[in-house]
Amino acid sequence: MSRFRLPGKGRVNHAETVRFSFDGKAYEGLRGDTVASALLAHGIHLMGRSFKYHRPRGPVTADSAEPNALIGTSRGPGRFEPNTRATVQELRQGLECESQNRLGSLAFDLGAVNDALHPLFPAGFYYKTFMWPRSFWDRLYEPIIRRAAGLGRAPSEVDPDIYASRYLHTDLLVVGAGPSGLMAALVAARAGARVTLVDENPEMGGAILSDPGVGIDGQPAWDWLAQTLEELASLGVRLMTRTTAIGYYHQNMIGLCEKITDHLDTIPDGAPRERMWRVRATRVVLAQGALEKPLVFHGNDRPGVMLAGAAQSYLHRWGVRVGDRAVIVTSHDSAYFTAFDLAEAGTKVVAIIDTREAPPEALRAEARARGIELLAGHTVTGTKGRLRVASVTVNPVEAGRIGDPRMLHCDCLLMSGGWTPSLHLFSHTKASLAWDEQSRTFLPGRMTEECHIAGAGRGLWGYLDALSDGAEAGAAAARALGQEAEAPTPAVAHDRAGTGESHKELPTDRTSSRVRAFIDFQNDVTAKDIRLAVREGMRSIEHVKRYTTNGMATDQGKMSSINGLMIAADAVGKAPPEVGLTTFRPPYTPTTFGAFAGYHKGATFEVTRATPIDGWAEENGAVYEPVSLWRRAWYFPQGGEDMDRAVARECRATREGVGIFDASTLGKIEVAGPDAVEFMNRMYTNPWTKLAPGRCRYGVLLGEDGYIRDDGVIGRLGPDLFHVTTTTGGAARVLNMMEDYLQTEWPDLDVWLTSTTEQWATVALNGPKARKVLEGLVEGADMSAEAMPHMSVAECRVAGFKARLFRLSFTGELGFEINVPARHGRALWEALMQAGQPHGICAYGTETMHVLRAEKGFIIIGQDTDGTVAPEDAGLGWAIGKKKPDFVGKRSLARPDLVAEGRKQLVGLLTEDGHVKLEEGAQIVFDPDQPKPMKMVGHVTSSYHSATLGRSIAMALIEGGRDRMGETVHVPMPDGVVRAKVTSTAFYDPDGDRLKL
Amino acid sequence: MMTSQTHDFAADAGARVRVEALAPVARFSLRVRQQGRAALGRALGLDLPERVGEVARAGERAVLCLGPDEWLIHAPEAETDAIAAAGAEVYAEAPHALVELSDREVSFAITGPAAAELLSIGCPRDLGRLAPGRAVRTVFDSAQVVLWRDGAEAFRVDVWRSFAPHVGALLDAGRAEIAAGL
Repeated sequence: MSRFRLPGKGRVNHAETVRFSFDGKAYEGLRGDTVASALLAHGIHLMGRSFKYHRPRGPVTADSAEPNALIGTSRGPGRFEPNTRATVQELRQGLECESQNRLGSLAFDLGAVNDALHPLFPAGFYYKTFMWPRSFWDRLYEPIIRRAAGLGRAPSEVDPDIYASRYLHTDLLVVGAGPSGLMAALVAARAGARVTLVDENPEMGGAILSDPGVGIDGQPAWDWLAQTLEELASLGVRLMTRTTAIGYYHQNMIGLCEKITDHLDTIPDGAPRERMWRVRATRVVLAQGALEKPLVFHGNDRPGVMLAGAAQSYLHRWGVRVGDRAVIVTSHDSAYFTAFDLAEAGTKVVAIIDTREAPPEALRAEARARGIELLAGHTVTGTKGRLRVASVTVNPVEAGRIGDPRMLHCDCLLMSGGWTPSLHLFSHTKASLAWDEQSRTFLPGRMTEECHIAGAGRGLWGYLDALSDGAEAGAAAARALGQEAEAPTPAVAHDRAGTGESHKELPTDRTSSRVRAFIDFQNDVTAKDIRLAVREGMRSIEHVKRYTTNGMATDQGKMSSINGLMIAADAVGKAPPEVGLTTFRPPYTPTTFGAFAGYHKGATFEVTRATPIDGWAEENGAVYEPVSLWRRAWYFPQGGEDMDRAVARECRATREGVGIFDASTLGKIEVAGPDAVEFMNRMYTNPWTKLAPGRCRYGVLLGEDGYIRDDGVIGRLGPDLFHVTTTTGGAARVLNMMEDYLQTEWPDLDVWLTSTTEQWATVALNGPKARKVLEGLVEGADMSAEAMPHMSVAECRVAGFKARLFRLSFTGELGFEINVPARHGRALWEALMQAGQPHGICAYGTETMHVLRAEKGFIIIGQDTDGTVAPEDAGLGWAIGKKKPDFVGKRSLARPDLVAEGRKQLVGLLTEDGHVKLEEGAQIVFDPDQPKPMKMVGHVTSSYHSATLGRSIAMALIEGGRDRMGETVHVPMPDGVVRAKVTSTAFYDPDGDRLKL
Repeated sequence: MMTSQTHDFAADAGARVRVEALAPVARFSLRVRQQGRAALGRALGLDLPERVGEVARAGERAVLCLGPDEWLIHAPEAETDAIAAAGAEVYAEAPHALVELSDREVSFAITGPAAAELLSIGCPRDLGRLAPGRAVRTVFDSAQVVLWRDGAEAFRVDVWRSFAPHVGALLDAGRAEIAAGL
């Protein structure tokens, strides 16, 4: 039995020992312990070092607000976690933990030299110190600061754990299962509401777990708790422990992070480590309770100095006395009960130091009866002890004057500066807080969400008030849900109500420059730092926070914000609400990246769309490129080819024989209805009225601004039916744009749009031998050049499958695109490959497709256009139906800047040296000798090596480009300026003879 | 590729949720104005449901109302041509769009006592309020789906073909999680 463990006490299982190690040393704890409670049971308070000064630190809390006792935990490769709060991490068999932020051992930390040099590191020291000389920043200051910054050791391996997520809908979500939350859940559930009750602790009960002496409804508190939890379960309430409400978002969306396996000895197969719940609650009751405030005095950070409420929790929840000789220093009644309970458990309570002149008579009497010395109207002016507090210096304060010091020996100093309502989630909703002058704290103000706030979270104190208020909140929530509900009045025996006072720093007789009274323990921010920040001109608490780093530790100001504000307000000379309170932001407590990522890692990181033919490409060694959410075959290397060689081979094979290409990702929209042609006339620049069924046309789609948005070949299948194709990336956008116009501008049109992108698999066949490959597979359509000229479409059967067969070309060769129902895509592909074998058919990917179209000067939306290119700029003026009364973007085409001279126009570029390939995106100048900064007149949009032409080719947008045919422009590159000639974009077969097959 | 988890029922008797990739069916999108509803209903052999989420059934044919002028038709594959022809027959009288989508989507069946729980890993809707017999257009993770509730413990998810592997992989992950019991 550890010396500080009380046999049979607490809610731990005394029959089950759990072995763990801390900094390599083996320890035993009990099932139900946290790392902190188990170490405290062994008399160990020293658990960490502070960030800046490397001061020795012990746990100051018994909960998730812990700023000091941060440890690294591990359960094997990839499962190391830094900055775990020892006060939260439950023991499990074999748990390995280590202290952090030390150079050397925890007891002898070389980094503590910073502490001796503390006068060199005042608030904002690095803003002042590391400014000059400027050149030192990159080479010296930043590397050093980066090495020193950051808490704990970052894990270096991939996290093998599973993280899950769920959505949950509930009538009422109750956050916090203390007395208020339990009552709220109970009353609402009894009224018939679907209730979810969450608590971040391993068990529910909140303060009740630390106050077993209280009686509720005629029962000891713990019996009442057990019975209440049983009733909640039987009413169907979803009870979630180890679950933290991390954020409160719009319309009652609350994020919950549930820890599932961190406390387990072994992890069952497939079990997630954590689960993020996205809860939509009709009503919310916030019953988060209150956070105890530390008192601010010299030496308030030594191991052994902790919050009185924490000591009480260690005593009752874990059966651990935090020391043999305790001194209590308090400004609130609550700490008296800690003193009484500890005394009863066998700890010598040396004295209660009350900062107030006149503590309540009942408490004084009780202290007297127990033989505890009470020093009212006193202050604490210092502590001593290297790695653990050994003594505390106290002084009487009379009319502002500090009396003679007295030293009290102790091994723990338990402090209470009163309690701050936990309004974190409430603040996430952008609800307002109201300063309460009487209690000198912020209370909930105006609400923005359908929520109630109950108990200590709105400044109430004592079990009767907390239980009653919770019941009222539960009843109000139930009534808001349309249920009938009444709030019962609980009966409470041995209540622990009380009040207190709020302080800035405690008065002291020390020279102010020598006082080191900590506010933010983790970041080593002292009261002096706050006052310095104000002296140096910071007025808003937000500035004070950033200048001093107060409240920026992993507890996000739970320990420090309110004390920092009190001191800053005093220094500024204004009331606290005028100095402001820093904003609370989600998450409420540190949350793993894993919990946020959920399933979105590895294979399910993001949707990867694949075509029906993707499997063939994979089996045939395709290299892929991502195109929007799709993965597309980029090229098909053979026999160790690199990309250039593979693409050159694919290009040649297509130009000379026949190539086959998976075009299934093209967006497809079925435009159907009596007004289909009118709709097409209004959407696209081209005229459609005279396009006969069975023919197709290249269409250009503009935005209202007159710039090109999308393009594609559109086939007319019947008087009322168009098969529209869009770019791969534009499919969803174009459909949305069309729907938008149809629903908002032209609701009178009888036409409907349906996405058929994935209904059809599309295979493109290009090359002089394309017809030879295809014709044997086609039934129900005449394939002759006369019956099926360039730009026609037929419904027929191909390879036995129902098909929409287009004759069109994006390569300049004789070309077909065959659409069959998606499930048959691969069978069609394989049939074509087989039929093409005698003709040397060659599968090609997107790169070859890009090269072949560039040789013909066909544009790619988003590559040769960038949202500022009008049809004329791209040489597509011919695609505009000049006689049409209107189409989207028509009016803008007459805008002065769109008809002005000198607009950037798409032209071809041929480098003087055909071996040199320009870089896409490279800037272009007319005169390379002009002074810098030079005038950029355009940029390269597309650039390839063309195997067909035996040289490089490029397309570029150049100011007035079409008037500069034959002129030389200059492309400055890192290794010299490249000269190139402006040409037409039709590099290959400019007259289109190759289509006439 | 496609997640196809068809289980031997006896071996899987203890499982709380089953996920199956279903065989293809005929699927059509029907768009028609108020005036044309009756004619299309007659052509299809049922009354088109009037409220979003309602399903009308005739034999194995099911018609789901997805919007004020939008319906989704599921039918046995053998009825594909008949449905297209029935639409064509009344086109002059009641102009509409009847577009075959049999290959655009695939469907998963999710059944068992934990079916709704499994869907809650990716579907933000309150599934408790989706009554058996109804269906809705919604999302599962980042994929748009149509979710049919066939019974208290039986759901179907229609998803675009290329999104199906992602949805299937997530359903698998969720199933493993539910099997682990935590």
